Amino acid sequence: MRLKTTRELRILYIKTALRWLLYYIIIFFGFVFMTSGTWLKPIILIPIALRISINNNMYASAVTGAVCGFLIDTACEKLFGYNAIILTVFCIAVSLIFEFFLRNKFVSFWIVSAVLSYIQCWLDYTFYYKIWNYQNAELIFNNYSLRVWAYTVISSVFVWLLLKIINHFLMPKKHFSIEETIKHSEQQNH
Amino acid sequence: MRNFFKSTRFKILLAFIVFLVGVMVYSVTKGGYAVSFESMINTVSKPFRTVSNVVGIKIENSVDRLARANDIYEENQNLKKQVSDLNEQLSEYDLLKTECEELRQLIGIKQAHPDYTTSRFCKVIGYTANDPFMSFTINVGTDDGIKPYLPVATSEGLVGITVEVSEHTSTVRTVLSPDLSVAVKSKSSDDDSGIIEGTISSAGEGLTNLMHLRTDNTLKKNQLLVTDGTSGLFPKGYPVGRVKKVGMDSNGLSAYAEVTPCSDIKNLTSVFVITNFDGKKEDKK
Repeated sequence: MRLKTTRELRILYIKTALRWLLYYIIIFFGFVFMTSGTWLKPIILIPIALRISINNNMYASAVTGAVCGFLIDTACEKLFGYNAIILTVFCIAVSLIFEFFLRNKFVSFWIVSAVLSYIQCWLDYTFYYKIWNYQNAELIFNNYSLRVWAYTVISSVFVWLLLKIINHFLMPKKHFSIEETIKHSEQQNH
Repeated sequence: MRNFFKSTRFKILLAFIVFLVGVMVYSVTKGGYAVSFESMINTVSKPFRTVSNVVGIKIENSVDRLARANDIYEENQNLKKQVSDLNEQLSEYDLLKTECEELRQLIGIKQAHPDYTTSRFCKVIGYTANDPFMSFTINVGTDDGIKPYLPVATSEGLVGITVEVSEHTSTVRTVLSPDLSVAVKSKSSDDDSGIIEGTISSAGEGLTNLMHLRTDNTLKKNQLLVTDGTSGLFPKGYPVGRVKKVGMDSNGLSAYAEVTPCSDIKNLTSVFVITNFDGKKEDKK
């Protein structure tokens, strides 16, 4: 059993700050990547937000989802806040699902990421093209939405690996404070 | 000592020196030609000398390089700096050349359309991610006098319209979008007029569509279409695109044409905004 000393506490704070800094640097570069060039690109901020949500509580997940959503709105010129709402809901759901039902495994993340990014693509297609009765609107879904979804699913593999590295080095491990240790020992003695 | 001068050894040495002097005198008398012995030495030693010369020069160069390493390093650094300076100058030159070209184009436009007030040439910051209609963002906004619904163009032709304007950037909806309708007519005939509107199927190929054409239109391939100017949103007579193909609508009541925009909308780097022109619809207060 490890004790949580003052020094360890300080290290924990530094690691947490550094981890979140790296998360947001990755988010920023994801945004820059999405806004560069004219090719179809993955909505890479979706897997990033989901991957961050897996390891964090739902409040942090909600904020991250909102930030990523706003950035997607800016990059894709969507109604500001539209994707923020969607991603906030997704991130809270993912945080809770992984806390209570799923284990933190790649396959689980990959499936969840694929399903949720498909829903995002479908909603995007529905609200921005389908309901406005554009001629041949289904072409958008087949030629753009599905391709973007496929790229997003592929990119989620790299996102998993990148964030796994960060979490490996900077994610705090379970520690006990002195009070918790004493309490735990007393409980065991009883 | 006296014995040495009288000895046989001295006499032999003296004879040898005399022989050498004789050889020397003989070689002088040859008038520049080597004596046979010398020739033989040269012939035998030639390949060895050649090889040793090459090796020697290489070793000398290597040693020289090592000895002058600092000088060479400095020279290299100076040359690198010179190359960097020249590259910088070249880049500035390219920038000035582009700017000059853009200004020349603007002057041309102003001469052709004296009623236009335009913004400076503005840079395309980036295309909207995954947008099939190629809308894009430019680096001018309300601070530069840009408002929503102003025409955006290149010197080749109309590109689109500003739709969302912030302080320093504006989003441009292009003529490939089904959400933008532009009244146009043929440059050569006022009767051939219609509405340009993008479609999903044509936007992928970088084309837009001319709709509501008369069935007896006289449009031909490559005919230039210019803005009609009736809406007050676009100036009159500005090029929009060229006819690619003319066909009949499925209802048989009107014709349509596929149009190639004059500007290469998928590869824009700079555009300008027409902020005022004759016939412009005034903003609602």
